Amino acid sequence: MREEFPILQREINGYPLVYFDNAATTQKPSVVIDAMNDYYSNSNANVHRAVHTLAGEATEGYESCRRELKSRFNATRAIITSGTTEAINLVAHAWGRANLVDGDAIILTEMEHHSDIVPWQMLAQEMNIELRYVPVQKDLTLDMELFEAAIKGAKLVCVVHISNVLGVCNPVERIVKISKQNGAKVLLDAAQSAPHQDIDFGELGADFMAFSAHKMCGPTGIGALLVTDDAFSEMQPFMGGGDMIETVSIHGSTYQKNEQKFEAGTPRIAEAIGWTEALKWLNDVDIKSEHKRILDSARWLAKELRELGMTVYGRHDENDAAVVSFLHPTMNSEDLAHLLDARGFAVRTGHHCAQPLLDRLEITGTVRVSLYFYNTHDEVVSFVDYFKEILERFA
Amino acid sequence: MTYSEELTELIEEFQEIDDKMERLEMVFDLADEVNLLPIDQWTDATRVNGCQSEAHVKVEIIDSNVRFYSGADSKLVQGLMGILTMAIDNGDANVVLTLTPDFATEMGILNSLSPSRSNGFRNMFDKVMNEIKTQM
Repeated sequence: MREEFPILQREINGYPLVYFDNAATTQKPSVVIDAMNDYYSNSNANVHRAVHTLAGEATEGYESCRRELKSRFNATRAIITSGTTEAINLVAHAWGRANLVDGDAIILTEMEHHSDIVPWQMLAQEMNIELRYVPVQKDLTLDMELFEAAIKGAKLVCVVHISNVLGVCNPVERIVKISKQNGAKVLLDAAQSAPHQDIDFGELGADFMAFSAHKMCGPTGIGALLVTDDAFSEMQPFMGGGDMIETVSIHGSTYQKNEQKFEAGTPRIAEAIGWTEALKWLNDVDIKSEHKRILDSARWLAKELRELGMTVYGRHDENDAAVVSFLHPTMNSEDLAHLLDARGFAVRTGHHCAQPLLDRLEITGTVRVSLYFYNTHDEVVSFVDYFKEILERFA
Repeated sequence: MTYSEELTELIEEFQEIDDKMERLEMVFDLADEVNLLPIDQWTDATRVNGCQSEAHVKVEIIDSNVRFYSGADSKLVQGLMGILTMAIDNGDANVVLTLTPDFATEMGILNSLSPSRSNGFRNMFDKVMNEIKTQM
């Protein structure tokens, strides 16, 4: 698999790149890079309107992404967005403004990414909406008793499927079931889970699911919002312009009936074509066995780091992501990241855009190692070997 | 521009090192060169803004000479402060004010750091120079 990713052949400071920042973004296989290059070299045109050959090829390429998304995730509606953040904002503006009223409540969790907190805080200020946060317990799981208490009267539940900091997979099937019993809609932030699991959106029963292409070997700048037909019918367009209209006159406009209603302006055509190839590439990966393989490596890494005196945040259960967040008792995390980079190891440090979670853990940041399917156990072993050297020389 | 003998030697020493790890190790070692500004003296006024770490600096001018105190929660950042200490501490304020951050570029240390860290160094440098100007 590694030879399919050109960047993995690169050296950093004279050492082979070991890319462990996959929760931030994944690398791209040649099929994705080649497809985007081919589009710009041979088929570049705008989509949907023109009748010439290039426009037909561009439209087919763009719409094939939507078809691939619906097929992979078993969805009837796939709105193409700029990424998870825009997809969540779309729910806030297109569904939230049209369906929430003064005094309504939305449930969030302390585990959410900022992208699933800030849009709701902004809406809450605008519409006098109550935000109820489900706490994270000491075992790094959501307090489901408090969730069940908070759900009464709530209109929407926004929950992250897998935490980008902890790798913890939340019990979304149970959350969806309880939410539905109480008449609340569910928005799933699947930015970290869509790349690591086979998710059946239709079977799961959530109303919205947001995720990004770039975390699953696709290009940056594109993502999707999957929506049920029921929720789709309740959404009103919030961004107006080209491509989303049916007719425009000086007296008013009518809108498209399909997903294009929420895709104003020239869309991300090259990115959609690249993402299609990434989705097809993922279809050929045995995700369950690959996930188990990298999770085993993450478990081993967590054990080794604990033995070296690090505090590791994560439990690494069966469905959790292969993410290892840790802290050295005294060494600054960014100092560690610089030293790791000196030997080609790319890791992430900081608050990972999840400050409420870090507040709950009473820390300000972590060093995060996040693995993907092209990582090998040998890379993880070399990380531990070099980490020991850092501790000997600098700690 | 002309640097002090000590700073010239330091620049040459850094230039001789190709390995990034060794260069970082040298910066770490220079963390001990600071006149330490204790944590209990860290205030909003001493904070270097735009630095991802907690980095604090304080300048005094005594008989036209610069006295530079600093401290950070990152040893790497404090190492950069150590380099600035070697460049300006006990120097004549008028001479110090002619210094530009180019010496750090010549050392190659800014290339070894993330953009946020190298921006942090420039912010620290600017803050120190502004404080010297204010006190003169």
